[in-house]
Amino acid sequence: MSSDTLTLKVEFGGGLELLFSNKRIRDVTIPAFVPGDSSVPSPESESIQPTSLKQADVTFLLHYLREKHLTDRPELFMEKDTVRPGILVLINDTDWELEGEGDYVLKDKDEIVLISTLHGG
Amino acid sequence: MSSCGNPDSSEADALMPRRLKYGRSRDCVRCREKPGNIVIRHAVYCRDCFSPLVTLKFRKALQPSINASAGTSKRPRLKADGNLLMAFSGGLGSSLLLDIVHRIYFSNESVLNENEEPVGGKNHPRNADVWPSATVCYVEVCNAFPGMRDSTEELRTVVSQYPCFEYVATRIEDAFDRSWWLRVGGLPSFSQLSVDIGNPTSCDLSIISALFTPAERSPTDCLLAYLSSLPTQTAISTAIQTFIRILTLYTARSRGASHLLLGTSLTSLSISLISSISQGGGYTTREELQEEWTQSGIGSTEIAPTIRIVRPLRDVTMKECAAYARWNNITVVGKQRVPATTQGIHSLTKDFIVGLEKDYPSTVSTIARTCAKLAPKDAPKGSCLLCQRPMQHDIQEWKNRISIRSFGEAKLASDLHTPPNPHNNMPPPPLSSQSIDQTLSLTPHLCYSCHTTLTSRSSRGLKSTGSLPVPLPVWVSPPLLDSARVVNPDEDRGEVFQNRQPMRDAIAEYLLES
Repeated sequence: MSSDTLTLKVEFGGGLELLFSNKRIRDVTIPAFVPGDSSVPSPESESIQPTSLKQADVTFLLHYLREKHLTDRPELFMEKDTVRPGILVLINDTDWELEGEGDYVLKDKDEIVLISTLHGG
Repeated sequence: MSSCGNPDSSEADALMPRRLKYGRSRDCVRCREKPGNIVIRHAVYCRDCFSPLVTLKFRKALQPSINASAGTSKRPRLKADGNLLMAFSGGLGSSLLLDIVHRIYFSNESVLNENEEPVGGKNHPRNADVWPSATVCYVEVCNAFPGMRDSTEELRTVVSQYPCFEYVATRIEDAFDRSWWLRVGGLPSFSQLSVDIGNPTSCDLSIISALFTPAERSPTDCLLAYLSSLPTQTAISTAIQTFIRILTLYTARSRGASHLLLGTSLTSLSISLISSISQGGGYTTREELQEEWTQSGIGSTEIAPTIRIVRPLRDVTMKECAAYARWNNITVVGKQRVPATTQGIHSLTKDFIVGLEKDYPSTVSTIARTCAKLAPKDAPKGSCLLCQRPMQHDIQEWKNRISIRSFGEAKLASDLHTPPNPHNNMPPPPLSSQSIDQTLSLTPHLCYSCHTTLTSRSSRGLKSTGSLPVPLPVWVSPPLLDSARVVNPDEDRGEVFQNRQPMRDAIAEYLLES
């Protein structure tokens, strides 16, 4: 891994994997510094202005997953800039509400788990 | 003068600081040693303290209902009157239900203390048999909607992880299958009762009765005809839920069960309560929380056993269920989304409550706690023939007073447009004889909620199925015919007993030939 990228392990559960090609676990490599508005830069886009950079956080990861890996029904994954209500997010096996939710700054080799709780009783 | 309009857009960034979703400390509120792993209603728990907390809530909700009578002991020995049946959908809650019941009541893994005596004493559920046997029941709904896959075998694999549980799969179309009905001990009926739901000129549900014939419509055709006749998406969703509930109850009864456990979480319970009340089910709010079911049957003298329907996860939120399943390696297959019901009241309520739980987790619990305090003003009149829940007195009189029950013919002609019904091209039922009994109506035997579900049409346009008779589920016919005999005991019993040969043909496969 180079110092300007982060490698993360992302796991989906509770039926959420169906939106991501039915693949439960995937390794994701993202830039360590990302645009301030969490937009996902396309490969052909011009270089980002240094003033608009921030450290990659969970909000960026969610946008990145939606843009690069989601294959079906984005409305079931995200609502505005966060996950849809009913999706539990664990960061290194800890509730993301304890870690600052979307503002948590990602570190290399972090494990992010996204579990849908909406699949019935 | 200051403006009362929208605030200046340049001030949009001046947001209030976000409030933390937990108290002052990130440490576990229970052990006060380890860093927390999860926030439950503003309280922080570590992973080690979290799982015992869930099982404690589970036992507290279930165990007071296990013994038939409360007794005087503070910690009575747990012994149920009959067997156990658990409803399983493959979803999160029911997957948790199976796992926790297995761990606590069926694993037979005694924990011994230093003197090699079982921890918890001989009355602890881990050390004593509470139920003689346990069955897991799944109702497959794939034939009700095109495009759904059959999950029967997938769920059988999940249940096979628990060798002490027996797996029973039923299908939603069994609601119209006489052979299933007789298998589960239902009273035989020789008439196929249908109802005229599609009549837009009246809210009265007249019964159309006909003898069964060997070439009758298949249960799946009957199910599709029933669902397609329903006026709204809400009605379809409610019908499916009712059928699953009744199929599970009769399966439980046939298995000698004294308890039926459902995997309804606190979040699902709050959704069901609000959804049920908004569909006119306020009278049965208590049954939505906890219920004792006895088979209804007008005129029946046999005392039917009572089944307690318990929701042991009623104090555990969906978030807790998801975390527990993750940390205890519980397989969750996931329940398929039922198409054609996404704009129904239940679905919209679910979106609302789940969104509410994210920001105001305690409010969801408040819904269930508040509803638990509600009680109906009057004793019930009996049971609704369709949902088999208690029915209020004088519903129709009250409904007559508050609503318009019929349209004038002229207005009807100008307002109604009958959309093409996809099931109208199905062959009409090949009935050997058909009679329309104008005096027999389903309406007086339905609760307010079921009657409204069948007759309340969408404000976005009238849906009419024409005059095709809609078959009724198998459990409706016997008590309805009994009620007709009670009302007119001196009259001839109709076509049912006029000719013995069709009756004999209908039950031929169940007769033992000498």
